Amino acid sequence: MRDTLLLGILLLSPLVTASLIFLISLFFKNTKQTIYTLLALAGSGISAAIALYISYHSYFEKQIFSSHLFTWLNIGDFTIEVALKADALSSFMILFVAPVSFLIHIYATGYMSRDKSYGRFFAYFNLFIFFMFLLVLADNPIIMFIGWEGVGLTSYALIGFYFGDIQNTYAGNKAFIVNRVGDFGFLSALMLLFLSIPSGGFGFSNIFLSLAHIEPFTLSLIAFLLFVGAMGKSAQIPLFVWLPDAMAGPTPVSALIHAATMVTAGVYMVARFAPLYNMTPEVSLFIAYIGALSALFAALIATKQYDIKKILAYSTMSQLGFMFMALGVGAYSTALFHMFTHAFFKGLLFMAAGAIIVAFHHKQDIRDLRGIKFPKIFIMMAVASLTITAIPPFSAFFSKDAIMGALYASGHLELFAMAFVSSILTAFYMSRLMVVLFFNKGEQVAKESPKSMFYPMMLLTLLSVFAGLLNVPELFGGDLNFSHWLNLADKIYTIPHAKEWALMAVNTLFIALVIYNTYKKYAYTNAIIVEKNYGWVTNKFYIDEFYNKTVVAAIDKLSHFFEKTVSSFLIDEKINLTALAYLKLGKIVSMTENGNVRFYALYMLLGVVSGFVYLYWMLRSAV
Amino acid sequence: MSNEFIALAVPALLLFSAIFILLFGFSSHYTKNRGYFITLATLFIAFIISANGVGTKYSILILPDIFNSMVVYDTFSATFISLFLLGGFLTLAIAKSFVDKTNFFTHESFVLLLFSLFGMVVLTMANELLTAFIALEIASMSVYILVGLNKNSLKASEAFFKYLLLGSFSASFYLLGMMLIYAQAKSTNLDVIAEYILHTELHSQLLIIAGSMLIMITIMFKIAAVPFGAWVLDVYEGASLPITAYMAGVFKIAIFAFVLRLFLKDYITFDAIYDPLIIGGALVTMFVGSLLAVIQQSVKKMLAASSVVHSGYILIAFASIGEATSSAASAIMFYLFAYFISAIGAFGVLSYISKGSDKAINYDDLDGLAKTRPIIAAALTIFMLSLAGFPSTIGFIGKFYILTSAIEAGYTFLAFFGVLSAFVSIYYYFKVVMHLYFKEAGHVEVHYGYKVSLAFIVLSGVVVLWGGVGTSLLLDIPGINALNELSRYSIESLGF
Repeated sequence: MRDTLLLGILLLSPLVTASLIFLISLFFKNTKQTIYTLLALAGSGISAAIALYISYHSYFEKQIFSSHLFTWLNIGDFTIEVALKADALSSFMILFVAPVSFLIHIYATGYMSRDKSYGRFFAYFNLFIFFMFLLVLADNPIIMFIGWEGVGLTSYALIGFYFGDIQNTYAGNKAFIVNRVGDFGFLSALMLLFLSIPSGGFGFSNIFLSLAHIEPFTLSLIAFLLFVGAMGKSAQIPLFVWLPDAMAGPTPVSALIHAATMVTAGVYMVARFAPLYNMTPEVSLFIAYIGALSALFAALIATKQYDIKKILAYSTMSQLGFMFMALGVGAYSTALFHMFTHAFFKGLLFMAAGAIIVAFHHKQDIRDLRGIKFPKIFIMMAVASLTITAIPPFSAFFSKDAIMGALYASGHLELFAMAFVSSILTAFYMSRLMVVLFFNKGEQVAKESPKSMFYPMMLLTLLSVFAGLLNVPELFGGDLNFSHWLNLADKIYTIPHAKEWALMAVNTLFIALVIYNTYKKYAYTNAIIVEKNYGWVTNKFYIDEFYNKTVVAAIDKLSHFFEKTVSSFLIDEKINLTALAYLKLGKIVSMTENGNVRFYALYMLLGVVSGFVYLYWMLRSAV
Repeated sequence: MSNEFIALAVPALLLFSAIFILLFGFSSHYTKNRGYFITLATLFIAFIISANGVGTKYSILILPDIFNSMVVYDTFSATFISLFLLGGFLTLAIAKSFVDKTNFFTHESFVLLLFSLFGMVVLTMANELLTAFIALEIASMSVYILVGLNKNSLKASEAFFKYLLLGSFSASFYLLGMMLIYAQAKSTNLDVIAEYILHTELHSQLLIIAGSMLIMITIMFKIAAVPFGAWVLDVYEGASLPITAYMAGVFKIAIFAFVLRLFLKDYITFDAIYDPLIIGGALVTMFVGSLLAVIQQSVKKMLAASSVVHSGYILIAFASIGEATSSAASAIMFYLFAYFISAIGAFGVLSYISKGSDKAINYDDLDGLAKTRPIIAAALTIFMLSLAGFPSTIGFIGKFYILTSAIEAGYTFLAFFGVLSAFVSIYYYFKVVMHLYFKEAGHVEVHYGYKVSLAFIVLSGVVVLWGGVGTSLLLDIPGINALNELSRYSIESLGF
């Protein structure tokens, strides 16, 4: 009962507030913003508090919260339950999803304060958290899929939030459609699972028990298709093209959905299916390669971008690539830990970018923003940048270094090399961004950000710095608390301490060198202006154009073909013909309804007579 | 409350209240509003009392010394009585605006409504053919007059006469059938007849078989199955909207309650003989009904014709009752509830926007309603979706149970045909939705007033949705599972 209450409130409070905000904004045009603010913060605040409570009990007392709400479908011996469960993994997810959501909500009250669609924004925003909670708390993949689709839907709505500009709507469409490709994979995997699992429930525990009965090929196919879903949601090669465009949404959206939470759903899903992926090493390796390629590719593109948010978007994709690399070699909790720290520092980076964008009248090009004066934001952004480049002792140092260690120890040195190069590139594009923004001559001075934007950022800064302490490797005298808590089917890699030290030192040294060189190149020079902005990297390797020419054009041709032949000729015409015939027949039948009682009585008599004829015919032989 | 008390209190309350209004109507203190609210309160109280009897499983003969086991009160009757009392209440509550804006709802109309409900209550509890006939006629007579309530309308008078004539004609079959059964079984008590059938050979049951079929014909007439239901278009069209809703939703429930009892107790042994007849009836009813519905221009006539199709669906389940007794019987109960709540809502919306006028509402009259009155349009859409059997509405679940029972009984082709006519029904139901949302109309915003009617329409819409996704997430509101459980319970109380 207590579990049901806690999980129910956690899940429903954002939904309820979202509906309230929606209704209020629909029916009362002149509502004060304060009411929306209160509702939105209440919805996310309550769930954040409960989430902290749950993860506290999960972490310290190893409690599992579960709640069976109702049976959704009951067909034969197969049931689909609507059940929520907060085991260690789910508790871990809500531990950062809920508070980060809450903080970004507070931030958004400042960021959006002058927007006329304030209510609509928070209705979507709260709805998003509801679906995100549904995704991570679901006890079976079907409910998880509902959450999965729900976050996609709200993401779509929020990318196209400023629908006055048609480009934003296109960006939303792009995100939605590309994600459909991934969803198709996810859904196919679920159907295959559904067919392969003998009987009983479709809950995660039952699925994992039945995995051994599935033949290896099907199992690999399921694992692969699930990962296709993850590719779409977590923006990995080849389904990443939507993420940069998704930056068309308001910046809090980019911070919450396209950096901290939703895009990590793919990572969460793969970790959730860890038992499956442990049985299909070839798919796991594939994941690692996709992750490595994505990390490298995105980092490379980020070096030639000029839009703050686009740089950060590619950086998100690159960091997600790191996580998938770790997942691929079986270091699940390491990947999740990087996701955890990433939520803080990437959320913070986006929020800082948002603060800059607001302060400088919606300029986003770093060439226009050279040498801005914004001291508080500078400090926080600098911390976040140092974190993402994995400078010790900031949090990402621990998480990224653990990934590098795992990659090295797994024996796939090519993966390690790609990760290393990506990490160097990360250092480069982040310091390029920072140096161009803050270490140049310029007259633009910002006025202070509102408090509602400032304090959440400050809190996230602290978290970016210290979150790493939660999973200190034994090298530094820690005992990997998180990994023990999560208790996933990790592959354990151990490498000698000396080697670990060496790796770390080399890595850090290189990063420091890159930062120094970048400073020298960009600080107080016009290098950013004169650098060539054409060529393959700047144009993102022409991936969009390539997709448009091949996939999109092909589908377009095919659709035209179907539209002309199959749809209009084979289907529409035939259906219309049937309908017309039906109408004609109806007209004929309606003649019997001529309004004359004598006819009606006649029909009845006919019915009686035919009934008796039947009875006679039937019983004649029987008696 | 003891069950015996409930069994006596509900009909007594309806009867006394009817007589009270009848007398009160002549007093100078009487106003239409008072009559209306007394009736509404009676229905509400009766519903509350009756709902107390739902849930546990029991079966008692009421005052056996006096009534000589002619009436029986069990979970089955309790459930059905609560169902149509609720139906009567909702119909009347939604009809508030209609009642106020017309001048033919005199105090007799409320009396007749209560009398007809009294008849239905007794019909549901009847355990004997003659009692059932009398109860059926009490209910029918009252409904005949309710149809012709609007004396100034030629159409209504015509409908009244047609219905009366054909109704009396069909009632004669019932009497003849009852006579034949009595001639052979020497009783009209359902239990005794069942006993007789069980202990005799087929050749000494011929009169019973023939008589039962005659009784079935009357019933087919009442539920408007083809070819006995030719009256339905004319009568539904002529009657005023709340009365049409009442006939389509509420009256049918009571008829089916009796038929179900009859089937489960007596007819079930003749299952093999009757099944082809019922199947044939179901097929013809669905087919002709949907043909008639497709060509209608007036929404009310479309709903009337489609109610024939819905009777056809229920006949599917009746055909399956021999092979899959419990699932088919509870499917019928569930479907009746699903249909009545959606139909009452749909007719209610029509009566709400007709503002008491006599004019038929055509599809074109709904154009652009979604723009001017979004809530009404949304409610009507929900009812249409439910009637068409769209998922996440109660209508979908109802059809789902009916079709599964047919498949369980081995009548897959019947289920297939049911799906086919549901498919056709999309055409005429979605035509309403199309006119609501996709047609522009320059007509000005109308204020209908009557928040009470609107509130009950919305409530019905919520029930329709709740029944479709029903959960016990927040409060203990009965959803799909609870309703299904309820119908299974009441079927079991019949002793099967």
